[in-house]
Amino acid sequence: MTHVAWRLLRRALINLWRAPLPSLLAVVTIALALFLGGALAFSILGARTLLTSWGAQATVTAYLDRALSEEQARAVAERLRADHPGVEVVLVSPAQALERLRVQLGDLGGALDGLSRNPLPATLELTPRRGGELRALADRVSNVGGVADVDYGREWVDRLEALGGALRGFGTASLALLGVAALLVVANTIRLAVYARRDEIEIMKLVGATDGYVRAPFLLEGALQGLCGAALAAAGLVAVQRLVLPRAAEAFSFASGASAPHLAAQHCALLAAAGALVGLCGSYLAVARSLRT
Amino acid sequence: MIQLFHVTKRWSDDPPVLDDVTLQVEKGEFVWLTGPSGAGKTTLLRLLFCADEPTSGQIIIGGRNVNRLSAGGVPFLRRNIGVVFQDFKLLPNRTALENVGFALEVLGASDAQIRERAHRRLAQVGLAEKAGSLPLRMSGGEQQRVAIARALVNEPAILLADEPTGNLDASLTDSILQLLFDANARGATVVVATHDRGLLSRYQRRTVQLHRGKVTADA
Repeated sequence: MTHVAWRLLRRALINLWRAPLPSLLAVVTIALALFLGGALAFSILGARTLLTSWGAQATVTAYLDRALSEEQARAVAERLRADHPGVEVVLVSPAQALERLRVQLGDLGGALDGLSRNPLPATLELTPRRGGELRALADRVSNVGGVADVDYGREWVDRLEALGGALRGFGTASLALLGVAALLVVANTIRLAVYARRDEIEIMKLVGATDGYVRAPFLLEGALQGLCGAALAAAGLVAVQRLVLPRAAEAFSFASGASAPHLAAQHCALLAAAGALVGLCGSYLAVARSLRT
Repeated sequence: MIQLFHVTKRWSDDPPVLDDVTLQVEKGEFVWLTGPSGAGKTTLLRLLFCADEPTSGQIIIGGRNVNRLSAGGVPFLRRNIGVVFQDFKLLPNRTALENVGFALEVLGASDAQIRERAHRRLAQVGLAEKAGSLPLRMSGGEQQRVAIARALVNEPAILLADEPTGNLDASLTDSILQLLFDANARGATVVVATHDRGLLSRYQRRTVQLHRGKVTADA
């Protein structure tokens, strides 16, 4: 059977060679769709990394009840450490808080000397070690006895999450649209190829070729177009990665721990699979319809 | 080998192209199918190689009921039927050898087998030296001989020919028909559609006469 597979592949290659212009159009369209899709996916991935990094820096601040003694405040901190092993819990005493404020105020720090008593409560600073789930953590901490109030920059985190969701939605819709466009172009290219070779198909069927045998070269043609498109798209993404990302990396540098995503071997494999799939589906659509008529 | 029982073929509301045709062709028989243009000769042949389906009636070929054949079964039936057309139906961008070998390609034969068998068939029809020629550089008679070689290359049990000499000079007709008689002598059942009465009188074989879709004579 290998000689049959080789023969079908050879015919697909010859057919591509004989109709270079429509084939090139399909390849470029697939490449464009995959490049834009890939670039979009990487942008979303980068933005998410950035958002996650910002989210990871956020801290939940729990203000303790003023009535708590230092011992009781330590007990609350211990309890939270035990309940949330993935969260770093730092107890800031009223005196430490006042000292921080003095440092932050700089030259104006002397004004604090006039206070008859320290107005600041003891606080617990809770920082998730792996980021995320800030809101859930704040909700849990607010229910702990001895905690008077909780602050985690709710508005900022909510905005980041909304932005992430919007990016995901936009990305998914755009990818679907680009995929469908590429599919239709491949389908039309293969339909033209089927039309151009209708005599050959008629004779093939006349001498006893099965539908599968008639379809195979066209499907291979579509898959090859998809693979070529994927290779072009990967080359484009690599070029962008080399030329643009070093500059973008500087923009990423302010987010500690965040790095721009890179095109890896598995991403190339994914592109190739997506290209082949788009090519196969497009040609299947065209051949299925054309062979029926 | 070929049996038709009350076969009717009708396109929409038009009068039937074939009307209640009942016919039997024995294995190894040579049959002329004749009648004026529009009598239904081509339609009958198309039903035999499953290019069309009958509106009603039963067709049995080699013991298989064509009506009950699934779409996937049609190609396998066609591998036992060689078909020759008036317009040859050769692929212009393939050589004579490749055109003949085309019928073997779809059967999954190896390249060596295809070359060997296609060469042998071309030699049999007297075109060994034209194996590398493209159809458009060959005469009508040569093209028809290539088409016959293609129809016979996988040694089908049935050979159908639709006006095989219709596009050829009278001088070439005899040599083409001789190829069909040879195939018949080797055991193939041959059905040839023609409206050329001269051929029928020169080569007397069983003749089925069609007129307006009905069998009007069978002798």
